[in-house]
Amino acid sequence: MCFGAVKMWMPHECGGRKPKPTPTPTPEGAPEGREPRMGERQPSSLADLLADARVWKLKDASASQRLSPSRPVWSTGRSALDARLPGGGWPTASLVEVLIDATGLGEMQLFLPAFVECQRRADGDVPWLAWIAPPHEPYAPALAQQGIELDRLLVIRPATAMEALWAAEQALSSGVCAAVLLWLKGTDDRWLRRLKLAAEAGGALGVLFRPERHRFESSPASLRLLMTRGEPEPRLELLKVQGGRPGLVDLSVP
Amino acid sequence: MKARKLKTQTADLFPASAPAPASAPAPRLSTLSGGLPPAPQAAPAPRSTQLWYAAVFPQQPIPVLHRLSLHAQQFTSLVSIEPPNALLLEIKGSLKLFGSLERLHALIDARWQALALQVSSAVAPSTLAALWCARSGKPLALEETATLAGRLAELPIACTAWDADRLQTLHSMGITRLGELLRLPRAGLARRLGPNAVLDLDIALARQPGPRRAFVARQRFRERCEFETEIDNVAYLGKALEPLIGRCAQFLRERQAGVQTLELKLRHRAGPATRVRLGLASVTSERRRLADVLDQQLSRLELSAPVRALELVSGALQPLSGVSLDAFSRFGNAGGPDTAAQLVERLRARLGENAVYGVSAIPEHRPEAAWRRIHELPLAAALMIGAAMPLDAMPRPVWLLDEPLLLSRQEALHRDAWILEQGPERIESGWWDGKGVARDYYSARCARGAKLWIFQERHTKCWYLHGVFA
Repeated sequence: MCFGAVKMWMPHECGGRKPKPTPTPTPEGAPEGREPRMGERQPSSLADLLADARVWKLKDASASQRLSPSRPVWSTGRSALDARLPGGGWPTASLVEVLIDATGLGEMQLFLPAFVECQRRADGDVPWLAWIAPPHEPYAPALAQQGIELDRLLVIRPATAMEALWAAEQALSSGVCAAVLLWLKGTDDRWLRRLKLAAEAGGALGVLFRPERHRFESSPASLRLLMTRGEPEPRLELLKVQGGRPGLVDLSVP
Repeated sequence: MKARKLKTQTADLFPASAPAPASAPAPRLSTLSGGLPPAPQAAPAPRSTQLWYAAVFPQQPIPVLHRLSLHAQQFTSLVSIEPPNALLLEIKGSLKLFGSLERLHALIDARWQALALQVSSAVAPSTLAALWCARSGKPLALEETATLAGRLAELPIACTAWDADRLQTLHSMGITRLGELLRLPRAGLARRLGPNAVLDLDIALARQPGPRRAFVARQRFRERCEFETEIDNVAYLGKALEPLIGRCAQFLRERQAGVQTLELKLRHRAGPATRVRLGLASVTSERRRLADVLDQQLSRLELSAPVRALELVSGALQPLSGVSLDAFSRFGNAGGPDTAAQLVERLRARLGENAVYGVSAIPEHRPEAAWRRIHELPLAAALMIGAAMPLDAMPRPVWLLDEPLLLSRQEALHRDAWILEQGPERIESGWWDGKGVARDYYSARCARGAKLWIFQERHTKCWYLHGVFA
């Protein structure tokens, strides 16, 4: 409204046009040509307002209310973490970034229970998992031990980082994969945005593992986690949570 | 012996209306060592089991006939090419589908007219009768064998397309019409014209079966495209390839078949042609998928020299199963139009065959032998070994190192750098194939906080890192 007021006063100052008879601009006094029938545009109810996609909503994370069924969440298997995530679990159709320097801190254990649950719950076809450029060979007996359906796991080893990003985008947007895990050393913001869009288009969860040095770069990911060593459990910090509060998560609670 | 006996026996005339069942398996002439086929016995068989449609296309070369045969295959599965310029279609089996003979006859004729072809056609219960009628330009649509001889009688003998010598002989005998020929005694006719002429007449009158070789469509797609100017830009190459892919997809659709491999040959002015081999994850005939994979391959391609011509050659055709059609994909409502096979082949087209794989577990005690990569699709061929795997007491790490990493003496000496959390689990196996192991496995936490899977070789007492719990 402030912007509108300034604009309205400009012609008067320049002397080009005679000002409207209302000298004090208020929301009600806005010229009719710019905001026609303001009253009708106002949402009729709170529900209408909430349905508007432009309105950013802060969900109550502690009440583990589910989001709409089109975008389900997957429980992480740890109640402490679930409680901190909006919707009560890993969001699907979005990009999650995990900043981690050394592999082996238990970062896969954050996600594997969710994948197992997702594959087990699927009616009809079991969704695929794609692991792109993993740090070592995924060890099949261990995955089978944990309950991952091995015949729905795709391991992709691209030669370059660019190919890895391309493969991730393809896998995310294909609609075949439930989750796409990507290990990267570094990348630019533009590609991350593409991955996010691909994840939203394909309804898949994109998980990006990057070194900690990218912590202070901006990222379009809807969730950013920092994992560092700790005793006895690793230390997990939520750097960015869309629809929730950032902060430390106590992983010692089962 | 037998042949000579038959020959003496057959001296009667061609009866005007005494057809034998066409399905009766009569011995072929060749098996009788040049003898005369037996005179068919009279049998009540008013309707023929076959009905042939013949179309004669004047001045059309054989390659054109091949393409016309493809058109004809929409009416019947048995299409036969009669050199030099005719097609024969067996349409008895298609009558029910198309309603009636008149309707089917009109439909086939309309097909040729749509292609702006000059054609004369006829329908008769035997191949040669239909062919001869069509050659003489007499429109005939006859379902009965009973009146066949009478209808054939009016045709000039030239329509038989026998060789010039034989026609000359007949002319000198004063015979110009088939009817006059049919009135002659069999034995005398065979002596003067050769037994083949008598056999032809028998086939035309539907007394002998006249088996035909069915037209089988080409089993590979191969098409070439020459450029007026040399192309050195891959993007233009992709554009030039588009119509070829379209035709390839149509070629496959016409045959209800798909391909799993394609080869693109790029010809240069000098030097050998560049070959681009494409593999698809599953048999397909879809234009979009073919184009997709070709695009990915072209985007990786670096041209060594400008291209003058390109050629697209398909691999062997394979039957297409209905489920591979996109529209019925079970992934259809999962959010995207792709299937897993499509995703895999697109990734492979760009990243290489070996860059995309699955893993499967194998019941085996040695950790490095307890899994393997799977490259062939479907990855579901990963068997159900994983489920049958014995669940060991000790957990296995998510990551396995390619080779066990020898921990340096210093690291090993400072055992306090490692906190052994679980173990030991003794694995002693494989003595039978020379790759025996004798190890004590521990799960340990290192100073940096990572949980690792390490083992001590029992003979050398050396410590190795083998996996990472993550």
